Parts: sequence; structure tokens; C-alpha cells
Amino acid sequence: MQREATLAQPDVSEIDLVKRCQAGDSEAFDELVIRYRTRIFGMIYNMVHNEQDAWDLAQDSFVKAWKSIGRFRGKSSFYTWMYRIVMNVTIDWLRKKQIKGAGAEFDDAVQLKEIDPAARTAPRADALPSERMERGELRQKIDKAIAQLSPEHRAVILMKETEDMQYHEIAEALGCSIGTVMSRLFYARKKLQNLLKDVYENV
Amino acid sequence: MFMKTFEEKWTAWLDGELTGKELVEFEASLPDRAAAEAERLDAKKLGALLKKELGATTFANEEFFSHQLSERMARDDAAEDRHDERSTWWTVPRLVWAGATSLAMFVLFTVVVMRDKNPGEQSQYLSQIMNARVDPALSPNASVTMFESKEDRVTVLWTEGLQSLPSEYAAK
Repeated sequence: MQREATLAQPDVSEIDLVKRCQAGDSEAFDELVIRYRTRIFGMIYNMVHNEQDAWDLAQDSFVKAWKSIGRFRGKSSFYTWMYRIVMNVTIDWLRKKQIKGAGAEFDDAVQLKEIDPAARTAPRADALPSERMERGELRQKIDKAIAQLSPEHRAVILMKETEDMQYHEIAEALGCSIGTVMSRLFYARKKLQNLLKDVYENV
Repeated sequence: MFMKTFEEKWTAWLDGELTGKELVEFEASLPDRAAAEAERLDAKKLGALLKKELGATTFANEEFFSHQLSERMARDDAAEDRHDERSTWWTVPRLVWAGATSLAMFVLFTVVVMRDKNPGEQSQYLSQIMNARVDPALSPNASVTMFESKEDRVTVLWTEGLQSLPSEYAAK
């Protein structure tokens, strides 16, 4: 990220870059890409868990942003607006993949039934992971747990926990209400607490 | 922020977003405060784990990513330009055809309507007058002139020097 900021000339304000983009300046758009490509790629990768797919979806998202930047009115930050595109592209892709795939990798209705809102997150009976567990294994466990969430739940918890986004920013990015964001966050946390209890208790 | 459901309030409480009266009321409503605090600690640990493990996603070949993106954008822009040109090329003949068709229909319509209207415009009496002849023996200096304005649907018959009105001029 340090390198990104240097390359992107942070003295140039974001709104100036956006205005230049709206006038057709593709170099200004390159600057915006440099600023956000790592975060965007990281966010998508955390949702789809495949580097090539994340690369393609990040490219698609930026191309869509370039084509529709004329419609950006500056009511939110460019980043929030960009996130909305990213989320649309990624969630659509995950949904299509779900339809094409073998079955319900995630299902909101099933998930909500499975989780008792009042349930205490109980420690799992499984053996605790070894202290020598490789980082790759840890990552795999987390990815596997996240893969059990619906695309919308993944998006909400990742935006909140890894991006530190506010409820209203997440709501804007997903085009839903703040109440929906909080509710999804509740169920996503419960689910991940159940699945990853042994991991975060022992890392 | 007005929260309606337990889930919303719980989430806000976990994230430290619940304040004032809402906070007091919510904490008072918890059946087991110690369990709730333990749950909150769990959620914080989960958040820290996700941030540490997922927040550090590396992005290899980022320069190539930008390069590939620029090329794709340029390619897409060029394709759009070509499409626009093609659209313009198609539009011109389409406009010409549309114009020609409209004109032909207008002409056809006009001819049909005018042909239908003309026979009815000339009255039976006027036909009789036009066909009548002035007898040169009876009225040697007689002249009959007709002025007709089809737009106003008016016909004026101007006669001069008639000694007597021919019987054919009389309306039956």
C-alpha cells in the first residue's frame, strides 16, 4: 500500500482525478486504479478464494467503473462507489457459479435456520489446531469457513472486519439498508464464530 | 441510529455503536451479562483474526494488472467507436428510406383523396350551365365567364349581354 500511495501521487485529490476521468482522461483513471487495485483485488480474492477469478473480476469491475464514471455524482466517496460496482460484479458471479455448481454452497434460508440468534458460541469439541500449523493451513480454514457464507454475508463481514467500513458505507456499497447490514453482520459473525472458534482461540 | 431488532442492537453493541438510553436498555435486557461479554470478546477475536489473515492479501503482478486493464479499456473504447461509426452508417440510409417512404405515402394519400373529392365538388347545376350554349341569334353580344376557387369551394358565374335566359340555365 505504501508503494501504491507513492505511485499514485497522493497530492492529487481524488475528486480531481474523477473529474479528469469524466472528461475522458484515461491516465487519471490509471491513477485511481493504482490507488485501489490492491484493496479491490484483496476484497474480491477474500470472497472468491481464487486468484485468477479475483484478477478477472477486478478487471471487470474497473472496466465497468471506467464506462460508467460519467454517472458518478460525488455523493459518496469514489471508493464507496467503486465498491458498489465490485460487489455487484462479484456477488453476481458467485450467484451464477452457485447456480452452475453442484448445489447450495450457501443458502441464506438454511443458514438462518441453522443459527439460533440467542445461542452462545460454544467451543468446538474438535482437537485444537497444532501450534505448528502453517499460515497456509490457517488461511485455508478461514477461506473454507467464509465459503459457507452467502455472497452477501461474506461481503458484509469482509467490509466490516478487513476494511473497517462503517455501516452506512457498507449499506451504500450493497444497495441495502443499514438494518440489513447489521442483521447480516450478526448472522455472519455467529456462523464464523461457530466455524472458527478453535482457530481464533488458539492463534 | 434507530434499531428495531435484537440482531441490529446486538451488532451495534458488539461494535460499540450503541450509546445512551439504548445502551442502558439493551444491557439491562440481557439475561446473562457475563455470557454476552464473553460473546463480545469472541467477536472481537474473530474480527482481529480476519483482519490479520485476510487484510494482508498480497497482489502479485500489480503493474501487469494495470497494463492489461489499460489495454482492455483501449480495446473496448476502439470497439465502441467502431460500433458508433457503424451505427451512423446504418442510420443515414435508414433515414433516407424512412423519408422516401413517408413522401410516397403522402403523395399516394393526396392523389387518392383529391381524386375522390374532385367529382363531388362540381354541382349538377354548374355542369348544366357549362354545357349550355348561348344562342348567338338571340343574344349576339352575350358572354358567360366562370370564376372558380376550389380552395374556398366557390364558383362565380358572370354573364353579360344576355337577352333572355336559355331554358337549359334554369334549375330543375
